[in-house]
Amino acid sequence: MSQLPFVRTDEGVQVNLADYEVETLANLITDLRYLLMGEEHEMLRRLKPPAHPGDDEAEASYREMVDDELLKGRLDGLDVLEETMDGGVLDESQVGAWMQALNNLRLILGERLSLEGVDLESHDMPDSPTAAIYGWTGELLEWLVRAATGSLPADGSS
Amino acid sequence: MTAPSTTLEPEVGEAIDFDRPWKVLVWDDPINLMSYVAFVFRKLFGYSEEKANRLMMQVHTEGKAVVNSGPKEKAEMDVFRLQEHGLWATLEQDS
Repeated sequence: MSQLPFVRTDEGVQVNLADYEVETLANLITDLRYLLMGEEHEMLRRLKPPAHPGDDEAEASYREMVDDELLKGRLDGLDVLEETMDGGVLDESQVGAWMQALNNLRLILGERLSLEGVDLESHDMPDSPTAAIYGWTGELLEWLVRAATGSLPADGSS
Repeated sequence: MTAPSTTLEPEVGEAIDFDRPWKVLVWDDPINLMSYVAFVFRKLFGYSEEKANRLMMQVHTEGKAVVNSGPKEKAEMDVFRLQEHGLWATLEQDS
């Protein structure tokens, strides 16, 4: 990256991605949207952790309450990425959507690596396209957190 | 860093007391970035940077942390918002 991918300006957070990065994100978005809109898939495991482990009844009612909303939020977040990834300026809610979407992409890529037998705890990642893209999405998220941290109150309420 | 264990199930015959608060737990996972997890705690709960970092480090080193507690509906909403952000959150009633 020749310049920071996210820069805070007076108008919001400016997205500065190279063309090949925009293209890579577009492909990841297409893949994730396809996964999200399809049948239940083991790749989605990390996106839907149980809220009530060990209590099937409570878990079923929780899932019924949240699953549609979680899905809608995730799809909406991917739309925000698509609309703004080529040089957009993000307001606070779009920054939130970006973070969640980047993290969702990471969760899927990480799950793919896990299924391939990669130890995610290890710093010794394989020399594979998935591992490279996984690392890159992590860098993007890290930079976005840095750019967004200025939007939080200096000291919390509690 | 493993899945929440099944020992979270209440013991057989244990009466459920609806007045006891529910704890919101966040579990360690190898994917979520430390800076992101701390950011989410600040954003969702309004915690100071210091408190958010302390909870994040507790998740990282001890495998889990209680990040909030309250009535079941509120705890469930917290879990939903944490899961929306991709964090591994569960709730359990205080013992």
